[in-house]
Amino acid sequence: MEIGTLLANLALGVSVAVTLQNLGWCLAGAVIGTAIGVLPGVGPVATMALLLPVTYLLPAEGALIMLAGIYYGAQYGGSTTAILVNLPGESSSVVTTLDGHQMARQGRAGSALAIAALGSFFAGCIATLAIVVAAPPLSRLAQQFRPEDYFSLMVLGLVFAIVLASGSVLKAFGMVFLGMLLGLVGTDVNTGNTRFTFGISDLFDGIGFVPLAMGVFGIAEIIANLTNRERRDLATSRVSGLLPTREDIRRSVAPVLRGTFLGGLLGILPGGGAILASFSAYTLEKRLSPTPEKFGTGMIEGVAAPESANNAAAQTSFIPMLTLGIPSNAVMAMMIGGMMIHGIIPGPQVMEQRPGLFWGMIVSMWIGNLMLVVLNLPLIGLWVRLLLVPYRLLAIAILFFCCIGVYSLNNSANEVLIIAAFGLFGYLLMKLGCEPAPLLLGFLLGPMMEVYLRRAMLLSRGDPLVFVQRPLSLAFLLLAAVLLLFVVVPTVRKARERAFRDGN
Amino acid sequence: MRLKSGQDLATGALFVAIGVAALWIGADYPLGTAQRPGTGVLPRILAWCLIGTGALLWLKALLRGGPRLGGWAWRPALMVTLAVAAFALLIDRLGLVVAMLGSMTLAALGTPETRWREYALFAVLMLIIGIGVFRYGLGMPVTVLPKQLPGNMPWELPWK
Repeated sequence: MEIGTLLANLALGVSVAVTLQNLGWCLAGAVIGTAIGVLPGVGPVATMALLLPVTYLLPAEGALIMLAGIYYGAQYGGSTTAILVNLPGESSSVVTTLDGHQMARQGRAGSALAIAALGSFFAGCIATLAIVVAAPPLSRLAQQFRPEDYFSLMVLGLVFAIVLASGSVLKAFGMVFLGMLLGLVGTDVNTGNTRFTFGISDLFDGIGFVPLAMGVFGIAEIIANLTNRERRDLATSRVSGLLPTREDIRRSVAPVLRGTFLGGLLGILPGGGAILASFSAYTLEKRLSPTPEKFGTGMIEGVAAPESANNAAAQTSFIPMLTLGIPSNAVMAMMIGGMMIHGIIPGPQVMEQRPGLFWGMIVSMWIGNLMLVVLNLPLIGLWVRLLLVPYRLLAIAILFFCCIGVYSLNNSANEVLIIAAFGLFGYLLMKLGCEPAPLLLGFLLGPMMEVYLRRAMLLSRGDPLVFVQRPLSLAFLLLAAVLLLFVVVPTVRKARERAFRDGN
Repeated sequence: MRLKSGQDLATGALFVAIGVAALWIGADYPLGTAQRPGTGVLPRILAWCLIGTGALLWLKALLRGGPRLGGWAWRPALMVTLAVAAFALLIDRLGLVVAMLGSMTLAALGTPETRWREYALFAVLMLIIGIGVFRYGLGMPVTVLPKQLPGNMPWELPWK
């Protein structure tokens, strides 16, 4: 792609992102993201679900800029709690607790925090650049996709989500099928028949994405968190000297680079994202280190790599969502939900039809990352204060925001009842060891797959072989088959389990 | 006997049950033709896939074992669900204040850690935020206080 159009695109992005309003939404997203990142037990998925109804009131650009800010902001905030309190503020900073908190105990909290923030910033910049470079050609490619290609690509996406889900593969399979089945509830757009509505008129339009996500992620999480008594050890909260030593910087350069690369790569994969990236980056550093036995005793590499990786992955996971319209993880599913609320159909056409939105969002990511460094480093003491709010009160507040948020969507009290039901269902799934993320992806992709399946069958006059006759479609299906084969092979399965367990 | 692999067995049962139910409910959804697949195609495929997954889970549980089913946290699960349901049932009939107080109090009953004096202060704060932001800030069309006192309590009104 020519440099000229690239610069023109970026200029357009700047003109959208650097308006007072959109800078404000970007800041709002970054602040909210940092806050929920710092607070253990409140994740970006639940928060975005909570705020989706509110974004209805904003212009589309502002809404998506804010939602994106929440996700990468949470990656910054999560490390603060991990390092200072030895609790993962965010699930993607679980591994940061290992060496980060040890550093804090040795009085090197400032160094760890600074490296985490600067590493994240570097990774965020590079990953944003990756989006700028990769998105246009991918979009153009995607516009040549035929219905059967889309169908097979979605199959591949779901297989990725299953393979990369932590925990049992069989259960992830079941969750995808169940999610797709839930997605079919309501009126069949092609034929006008209703499915699985039990005659309830509220279900004729299908189950809403927001109530489902809020119930399964938000409410279920509250139930689970109220079960565990909280213990927070704020003893080491005094931070002195935010400047990292020259030695720490020197040792962090390579891990940050490796973490950025690995995280950026894993972020693009469907089913990947920040959590997988941070675990893998930590494992990689441990493997490469001449002194792997020292990990867990306060090695700066163990902070630098995963923190860069999770931020890089958080950014690059936007690539498949923006170019193909396919959500690669639960957070991207929320972003798609946000787009659909504003009547934007996610897919390769977004870049052409709404270039301002597309490039504005990308530029805002870079601005947001810059804001986050400023927000996080000098203001760290303020964020730590947040941890003084006990969860017993936080839970009540979150619950209220969930209720009023869903109610405000359509002023429908029955939708609030739906989140109560899905909350309980989500808790059941949690107890059964089933991850809700594949369920959500299946829910979003199921109805889309049905549309493409029907189109492909119609165009091929009912010949199902069309899925293996188109080279692109065949390639996607073969790749999916290979991936599935891999999961069944015992050695690969063990390596996968180790990648998720390492560090726990 | 306490099953060693209770978690997998229960998940398998859930999958099979939902799959069978989907087949049963969707038994009369038309299948259409190959060129124009009908309403019933994908539901049937998915239902069978779900049943198959459930069966495999059972097989795995019996052959290889697996994690046990952990204890259930009945109190938070019940109270949080009731809190959300209470909000849904009260908001249209008795307004925001009653719905919030009812729902928040039920939620507070969900954990033994609640300190009631602290909760009372917090509830007042939440009421101010809730009414201020949502009714007056965002202009949501909700009633704040019940229009007429007792008269129509929720339990006297069946589903309209």
